[in-house]
Amino acid sequence: MVVVRLVNVTKIFKTGVVGVKDINLTVNHKEFMALLGPSGSGKSTTLYLIAGIYKPSSGKIFFDDRDVTNLPPKDRNIGLVFQNWALYPHMRVYDNIAFPLRIKKLPENEIRKKVLETAKMLRIDKFLNRYPWQLSGGQQQRVAIARALVKEPDVLLLDEPLSNLDAQLRISVRAELKRLQKRLGITTIYVTHDQAEALAMADRIAVINNGRIIQIGTPEQVYSKPATIFVGGFLGNPPMNFVEAEITEEKQGLYMLLSGQKLTVPKHYEPLVRKAGLRKVVVGFRPEDTAVIPECRETGECIKGRVYAVEPMGREYIVVVDLGGDLVKAIVPRSLVLIEDQEVCVCPSLEKLVLFDPKTEKSLETLYAEKT
Amino acid sequence: MMSAGLRDIELRSRRTELLLVATVLIFSIPLILGYGLLILSSFSKEMVTNLNPHDFIPTLRNWILFFEGRTAVFGGIRVNIWHIVLNTLIVALGVSFLVTLVGSMTGYAVSRLKFSGRKRFMALLMLLHAFPGSVMVVGIYFLYLMFLPSYQLVRFYSFFFVIVARASLEIPMATWLMKGFFDMIPWEVEWAALVDGASRFKVWRKVILPMVKPGVAAVMLFGFLAGWMDIIYVRTFLVDQTLATWIESNINAEYSYLPLVAAAGTFYLLPTIIFFLLAQRLIFTISATGVKG
Repeated sequence: MVVVRLVNVTKIFKTGVVGVKDINLTVNHKEFMALLGPSGSGKSTTLYLIAGIYKPSSGKIFFDDRDVTNLPPKDRNIGLVFQNWALYPHMRVYDNIAFPLRIKKLPENEIRKKVLETAKMLRIDKFLNRYPWQLSGGQQQRVAIARALVKEPDVLLLDEPLSNLDAQLRISVRAELKRLQKRLGITTIYVTHDQAEALAMADRIAVINNGRIIQIGTPEQVYSKPATIFVGGFLGNPPMNFVEAEITEEKQGLYMLLSGQKLTVPKHYEPLVRKAGLRKVVVGFRPEDTAVIPECRETGECIKGRVYAVEPMGREYIVVVDLGGDLVKAIVPRSLVLIEDQEVCVCPSLEKLVLFDPKTEKSLETLYAEKT
Repeated sequence: MMSAGLRDIELRSRRTELLLVATVLIFSIPLILGYGLLILSSFSKEMVTNLNPHDFIPTLRNWILFFEGRTAVFGGIRVNIWHIVLNTLIVALGVSFLVTLVGSMTGYAVSRLKFSGRKRFMALLMLLHAFPGSVMVVGIYFLYLMFLPSYQLVRFYSFFFVIVARASLEIPMATWLMKGFFDMIPWEVEWAALVDGASRFKVWRKVILPMVKPGVAAVMLFGFLAGWMDIIYVRTFLVDQTLATWIESNINAEYSYLPLVAAAGTFYLLPTIIFFLLAQRLIFTISATGVKG
């Protein structure tokens, strides 16, 4: 039960490749933190730095107040689950789980008690006499988690533990893992490239790209208020729509011109746009916060477009609309019948849209927060 | 040699398949004939090597004489054959042990540890392996001469000399072989063991080494056979006789009785055959690694 703190951690590999740069991250006691990013973003590197498998080139890592920067992995009391589970193939499930305890030279009856307890918790107590290759993917994964948990670690580190499971299983294990983490109250850091996993499981998400942390926040914050265009585009399925717009000033207030059509700048954004003195912005809006109506009125809230394609998704339809060259997606109810090339009106929710600076690709809130 | 479970795509037609098998058989005839005639001769009064069926007069006398330690049908020269077998075993097992120990540790280091000159070291190993062993006998002799023990101990130490010299010839290849096996183990398994609290050496011994059992078996086998087959180093450094030198001395002897030598030669072949049969399954079974993807 530990607070993990990374302070200005940089890792540059011997080959000159920058793994991560200036990582500052605090994972609170009992918190489930997801490190989310595309492959090669440095999220696994961050995890291995916390595990002690890599040593940072500069910066410090703390577990509570203890400086663990230069401690070897075995002295950190961590549990680590790998993407490929890394079970010991020549040992039975029982011996796999018992391995960390045997290394600690615990008495055999105590080992037995703990292994059985952990196995029962993960519902693998029936397979203790089998070899890993005799188990299914889901079962092997449980063994890997059991092996990580049996030594009662201070921190649980998970490196894409679900990626090797098939899609159905992944979703069921997701809930189970989340519940387990809450029950044990163990500080957990979870690396994933699957935004749905991060949103579903984590208390907070740290979005990583190109070796830097872009944004840290609750799933709700990261999802609805992305700090950069990258975050908006990485989270959500389908992701956020982005359209460039020019700013014009009129009597009633500020407007954005999207392919020649006016859209009102939301009131709460007006001071920010004025302060930043931007001529151009990128408008970001989520498909589910976008209404599509067959007929338009001149209100400054909607933009005309043409239906490009309709994708029936079962529960709802995804409509792809061509806004004078920019394709945007909107989620509409099944009752709305649209045909290709039909003229429609796209109305993003003005409260929920996010404006970005096209140069830095940061949201105006982030830009403003940095300037002050 | 097809091990169970090894599958091939079924692209070849039945005719090409038969043709291939026939070709393989034709090329194996000299080998099969050679060994077959040797074994047959060992059970015959006359050598059957000139393919004359009248020469084959079945008898067990050669084998009886061999185990009695006779070097000839007549005359009273007898040796203790089991002592010679023991000597051979000492050399073979010694070489096997040393090659396995050093090869598996060096192989691990070359495969997994970062140290300067690693690449050059590997190239050097290759170069060492390229030298024929017999070229180095003289050099090794002078090397040993520098710290030769007192005369009384020579007989005892001579095993040590043979084993070290012969093993050192096998170690480069063993190292490369082991490196190949260690390379196949994913890093994650090693990291997992490190995180679980094991030291680097413990990781090697408890987790990594059991995963490369086929490699260890192969290296042990090759080491054993190298020691069992060796004649040059045994002749140069060993005071006692091994099977190789004993058979050789019998061939050269004036009174040599070849069917007896054939029996000795067949006996000499046995461990090779047995070892291959036993190790075959181990070597050709690729261990399941427990790692998916």
